[in-house]
Parts: sequence; structure tokens; C-alpha cells
Amino acid sequence: MTVRPTTRFRLAPILVGLGGLMLVGIALASSVQAAPALRPPAQDQPSNDYCLGCHTQQGMSRPLDDGSVLPLTINGEGFRRSVHGEEDIACVDCHADIEAFPHPEFSGESRRAVTLDLYAACEKCHAEQYNNVLDSVHQAALAGGNANAAVCTDCHNPHEQRRLTERQSGALLPEARLAIPQTCARCHSSIYQTYKGSVHGAALTGDGNLDVPTCIDCHGVHNIQKPTTARFRNETPQLCAKCHTDASRMSKYGITTQVLNTYVADFHGTTVTLFEQVSPDTPTNKPVCTDCHGVHDISLVENPATGIAIKHNLLLRCQRCHPGVTSESFTEAWMSHYVASPTRFPLVYYVNLFYKIFIPAVIGGMLVFVVSDIVRRRLEARKGRAH
Amino acid sequence: MATKPPAPARGERYARFGLSPRLQHAVMLVSFTILGLTGLVQKYALSAVSVFIVRVWGGVENLRTTHHVAATVLMLVVIFHLADIGYKAFVLRTRLSMLPGFQDVKDAWTALSYNLGLGRTRPQMGRYSFEEKAEYWALIWGIFIMGLTGFMMWNPLSTVNVLPGEFIPAAKAAHGAEAILAVLAIIVWHMYAVHLKRFNRSMWTGQLTEQEMLHEHPLELADIKAGVAGEVPAPAAIRTRRMVYYPLAGVAAIVLLFAVYGFVRGEESAITTVPPQLATGPVYVPQTPTPVPPTPTPLPSPTAAATSQATAAAAAPVKWAEVAPIFAGRCGMCHGAALASSGLVLDTFEAAMRGGQDGPVIVEGDASGSPLIMIQSTGGHPGQLSADELAIISAWIEAGALER
Repeated sequence: MTVRPTTRFRLAPILVGLGGLMLVGIALASSVQAAPALRPPAQDQPSNDYCLGCHTQQGMSRPLDDGSVLPLTINGEGFRRSVHGEEDIACVDCHADIEAFPHPEFSGESRRAVTLDLYAACEKCHAEQYNNVLDSVHQAALAGGNANAAVCTDCHNPHEQRRLTERQSGALLPEARLAIPQTCARCHSSIYQTYKGSVHGAALTGDGNLDVPTCIDCHGVHNIQKPTTARFRNETPQLCAKCHTDASRMSKYGITTQVLNTYVADFHGTTVTLFEQVSPDTPTNKPVCTDCHGVHDISLVENPATGIAIKHNLLLRCQRCHPGVTSESFTEAWMSHYVASPTRFPLVYYVNLFYKIFIPAVIGGMLVFVVSDIVRRRLEARKGRAH
Repeated sequence: MATKPPAPARGERYARFGLSPRLQHAVMLVSFTILGLTGLVQKYALSAVSVFIVRVWGGVENLRTTHHVAATVLMLVVIFHLADIGYKAFVLRTRLSMLPGFQDVKDAWTALSYNLGLGRTRPQMGRYSFEEKAEYWALIWGIFIMGLTGFMMWNPLSTVNVLPGEFIPAAKAAHGAEAILAVLAIIVWHMYAVHLKRFNRSMWTGQLTEQEMLHEHPLELADIKAGVAGEVPAPAAIRTRRMVYYPLAGVAAIVLLFAVYGFVRGEESAITTVPPQLATGPVYVPQTPTPVPPTPTPLPSPTAAATSQATAAAAAPVKWAEVAPIFAGRCGMCHGAALASSGLVLDTFEAAMRGGQDGPVIVEGDASGSPLIMIQSTGGHPGQLSADELAIISAWIEAGALER
């Protein structure tokens, strides 16, 4: 009993230390998110109210060199509800060249030029995302001279972007997930129209289903890669398998999770998988998931018009690589992701069964001869009886 | 092509295999090993060992080409073997000692009984023991199955013309399983019989010693000693038969070679398919109107301003009371008494008329000459006035900028 105070006394700094560590941990964990490091507004920088005093007025704009106008009106309410507004990010954190009114002399060639000048400010707080974008197909296109290629602010209007991820976990918020296709559609509207008609897109845009893939699940978010490379193609089976081998997700819809192993076991899948593992940048003419199922237009396999569970539709897919094929029977050469059973592909099932018995029988019989011969010869040698 | 008839050799050596079977064995050994290696790598494609071998081989397509070349070589060995057997059977009238018979079953049973301690003696073997016959016929069976199923996989389009499509995955299953069987049989049966039990070099040297003959082929040795084995036909008979056999065998060989060519090259399309075409469409198709906010607001055009101005002027002259709310709402934040940006304050009539640090901004009766209108008309000033608001203020100035 007398020991207790001493123990408590010693524990105290440890507890304080642990508490401190936890706080640091929480702080670190939250700083991992897109949320910027918060800092108190500097004393000498103008407040957001100061800026918005003018910039919420309707019709503020500036002419640009190309004859277009740069709108300068900010939706004040929209900004306050935006993640930047919530986090008290100052206007001048991004518009760092402005200290007060009057503003420094400004001129811009075009609206696009102004955007391309300003988005670099995002890096200050969002370095991880910004650097990911540097590796993306958009950045490559921009560097290649395509000024239309998307930069940060094309997807995230900095004045109105609402919070996309949960602050603590960093998990994408459901409403943000639902809005993704519309964001990409601003530039990729025809792909969006195709996607909306697909089994995945219809579920997301029609039913608000969050289980189906949206653009970023296949293409990534910031470091979006060119999807027409050999590498992307060779990795497609693994990409689709992320969801399609996930039993918890597939069981909801009664979809088999055998799609990857049945594909990999087949000639086509074996080839593609070996390409993916050995030389991912080398193209192969063997099909991947999307060659039969489609890319943005993936439909239910049972769909009478396009579904490849219907042999006629599947044959059309086969013919894209095997132009000489005319018989629907050829489609049976591919087991359509089925595992052979007495009812599905019985011939394959019984061939396997035959060898399951035949191989042990033959090799077992041989071993009986060989082992008994070895034993007999040993015994003879021990007896010294030369044969 | 012909094997020399086994005759008592000098000393105690007995000829067992002529050059032809030894050559066939050597070529088959190489092709079988390559087929087994490159085939099993494909069967167990995703094991680390297989991936390593595929990488070393320069990719799975190279590996498959090697497999196909080795298979073609094996098919050629089969054709050669058939011609060789035909020669021995028809021209030399050699006994077909490899044919299995009931005696082989009895020999196998005797051997097993002896090994298990149930029998007193080992069986006495002739030219080919039951073990050798089992291996030979297992090989014939294996080559037949592998050739048949290999054809189906190599030529799927021709196959589905006569068989259901399901035969192709079934062929693949059989091909792989048969490969396992063949490799295991070689390891268990062949390795034991000619490498472990006793290292039998006759497939390379072509010869066995008398001691070896006595142990392994005593009946053949007895036949040789009795002079009933290896009777060679008269040279004249051989010449006559050759004249029949060579043309026949030649035609058969040509037919078979064509068959092999068809096997190998008949169906290019199944192997070298056209690359899959990605459904490509325009990628960059921006929505119109581009929904990226904020949306631009049109600047007041001079004509619009003029029209408004004209209509405004036609009505009663504009007074300060009408423009004051516009100044307060639009400009007051900066040009109020508190900030007085650039010294300009627009709170009151007097202050407005006084102007800013650079002088007056309102020239009575001359809207287009008033700095206030000039700055606002170019647009881009913070606190931009709308076209209507600008028209009212212009009208007010034109009318003399009256206080009341």
C-alpha cells in the first residue's frame, strides 16, 4: 500500500507523455489528409471579409488580352460552406501577390492562362496531391502543349469545393463519390454518356449505388495514368479483380468471385498474367477483361442485346481477334469463367477426373514394382547372394 | 537405317542398339525435356519458378515457340521411327520383339512375386523385358494423346469444325495431365530401370557385355548362342524388298510430313491473332456550356449604355437620391468614409463631387469625360457596376450631377 503513491508519482509523467504522444499522433494522422496545416491568419494580411466585401458583388470582372473577361465575383455563401471556408483559409493564402486594395497591376492573356498561373498555389498546402498530378496523364498533356488538360482547379473549384473526405479517416464521403463522374464529365462528356449506360454507371448515377466503380476506381485520382498503354492493359485483370474477387461485395449481387482464377487458368489469362509479371510494358494480343466485357460500356452479361452470356454476342467478341471463326460452338472453347462440373463442361470435368485416378494408379503401380525391387535387391545384397 | 543383326561380337560384347535407335533416343531426349520444361511452366504459370523461367526464356511467347519447335521435332522423330520400323519389319523381316504379349503379363507377375518374396526366381527376359515394353508403349500412348490434344489447342478453328468447342478446354486438361504422367513415369520408371538399378549405357554405346546380357536378356543371349536370332536375309532378297519399300515409305513419309506441316502452320490465325481493337472515341469532349463557375458576366457595352442613357435622359433628370444607394452598395466598402481608398469617398454628395487624391471623378454634364465612368466602363474595377447601374449614374452626370 505504501508503494502506491510512489508508483502513481512515477506514472504521472508517463501518462502525460503518452497523452502527448497521442495528441501528436492525432495531429499527424489528420495532417496526412488533404487538409492543410492550419495557421492563424497573419495580422497584417487582409481578412476574407475584407476581400469578399467587394468580391461578392455581382458582375465584377476584368477584360483579358484575348478579349474575354475574367469574372471576379465570388459566391460568398459558397465559399463559406466550402472546405477552404470551413478551415478559414485566407484568400491571400492562394492569391499571395495581393496584400490589400488597390491590387497590383494585373493582366492576363486568357482565362485559361490565368488558371494555369494560379493553380500552382495549390501545392503550398496540397503537396502530395499536387505531386501525384505531376505524374499524371493530364500533366503530361499539359507539358505537351495541350492547355485544356485538367489542372487542380478544373476539378476542384477552390472557392466552392466542399469537403470530399472524412477529416479523420480520409475516407471518401458518399456524396463526393457520387459526384465524381459529373466532375470528369466536364471534359469527358462522351465517355460519361457511355458510362451512364453501363451496368456500373447506371447503378451509380441512377440508383446512387456506392459499390460500383466510378472513374477514379479504375483510373486513380491524382496520378491518373494513360489508359491506353500496354501496362494498363496487362494490369486490367488485376484491376477488375479488386472488386470482383471481393466476396463481401459480390455476394450482395450474386456475382461469382471465380472470375479471376478461371481467367488466369485459361490460355488467354495465363498469357496476359505472365506478360503482366514478366514484361508489363510489352503488348500482347491476348484479351483482357475489357476486350470481351467492354470498357466504359460494360453491360450485364445477361443483357439480350449486348451481354456475352448470349453465345451470339460472345461470338462477335471472339471474331474481333479470330476473324476466321463462324461457328458459335467456338465460344465453348472458352469456359466463360465456369469451373468444370458434371453439368457445366462435363467433358473437361471427366477428363480431369480420369487423370485424377489414372495418374496415381499408373505411377503407384510403377512405385510398387520399383520399391519392391529395391527392397529385394537390398535383402539379397545383405545375404551376400549375388544375383 | 537398318540395325545390324545382333551377332556375337568380338570378345563378350553384344550389339544392342544400332545408330538409328540411339539417334532417335537422343533427339527425343532433348525434345521431351524441352517439352516437359516449357509445358509444365505453362501449366503452373504463376508459380515463382515458372515466372522466373519465363523471364529467362524472354517471355511466354518465346517459350511457346520453343514448345512448338520441340513438338515438331518430336513429330519428325515419330515419322522417322515409323519408317525405321517399317524397314526392319518389311525388308529385314526382323522379329517384332517389342510387341506385347501374354508372356509379358506373366513376367511382370513373376517379377512382382519374386520381389515380394512370393516367388523363387526372377523372370527370364528376351530381347525386350516387360519393363522396357511398358515404357515403350507408354511413350507411344503419351505421344498419341499429346499429339491429338496438342493439335486441338494448336488448331482450335479446325477442331470446332468437327467437334464441339468444349473439346478444346478438355484437350488442354488432358494435355497437362498427360504431361504430369509422362514426366513422373520417366522419373520413376525410366530413371530407376536404367540409371539407379544399374547404369545402362547401351543406349549410348549400343552394346552390352555378355555378363549384362546374361542378367538382363538371358533368353535373347540363348537365342544368339543357338544361332536362331538375327538371321539376316539374303542380299538379293533385301535388294528386291527395298525396291518395293523405299517408294512406299517415301510416299507415306511425304504424306506424313505434309500432315505435320498442316498441324504446325495450318492455323496461323489462332496463334497470331489480330491485336484487340480498343473502342476509341474522342476523349476530350467538354460540356457546353462549360459548367466551371464562376460564369462570366457580360461587360456593359457602349451601345447598351447609350440606349439606357437615352431612355433615362428622356425621363425626368436623375438626382443624387437615386445614385446614392448605388454608391453605398457597390462602392461604400472601399470608398466609404472609413477606408477612403485613393482618397475617394462616395458617401455624400459633397465628398463625391470633391473626388479623390488624383482629382475629381465626376465632370458635370460629361459622363464619358468623368474618370468614374471611364474606370467603370473598362470593367475589372473591384465593385464593378452593372450596366443598368452605370447607365443611371451616367444619366445623372449628363443631367449635371444634381444633388436634388
